[in-house]
Amino acid sequence: MNNYSFDELSVGMSEDFEVTITSEMLENFKAITGDVNPLHNDEEFAHSKGHPGRVAFGMLTASFLSTLAGVYLPGEKSLIQQVETKFANPVYIGDVLTVKGEITELIESVQRLELKVTITNQNGKKVLRGKMQILVV
Amino acid sequence: MTREEVFETLTEIFQDVFDDDEIELTDATTADDIEDWDSLEQINLVVACEKKFNVKFDMKEIQSLKNVGEMVDTILAKL
Repeated sequence: MNNYSFDELSVGMSEDFEVTITSEMLENFKAITGDVNPLHNDEEFAHSKGHPGRVAFGMLTASFLSTLAGVYLPGEKSLIQQVETKFANPVYIGDVLTVKGEITELIESVQRLELKVTITNQNGKKVLRGKMQILVV
Repeated sequence: MTREEVFETLTEIFQDVFDDDEIELTDATTADDIEDWDSLEQINLVVACEKKFNVKFDMKEIQSLKNVGEMVDTILAKL
């Protein structure tokens, strides 16, 4: 786990990691949230909507932003304040996602950083775009 | 900038941060008077003020601010 202090951070710094979406992740997410929508849980239903398989929950994809901040940038001192996300493209089981954050702003008075975040699939397509405001505490 | 101009700009910042055009400030306005003025929005207010007025605050100043009047005076002193 990274443990950056505010003074060690600079605009342009970035971190990224890879994660593969599995059916177990979808099952666990359903169990935690109670979201039983068939698009995520019923293969046939997903096919009928034009998808090659079950669509991963958008919020499951977004949940990796928690890891990005809490483990990578800034790591241990992270306190997530705000998250804005756009779900640009669907994510499917087996997709290999690259979760990336780049510091776009540092506000010294409140020890807060802004991260531009992107999650990209194995084909280079962005599946999520967004911004995070994170306190370094 | 006059005190009135700072006050007017600060009102616009509050209206923008809280997404509420009805907000009207007085010197005595505090977090108790605006429902969503919590610690998160306090930080957003500080950041918005720094950008709009092109000033910098320090942590001690932020923590010592008791009401809008003190915010206005702190900003004025930095212009």
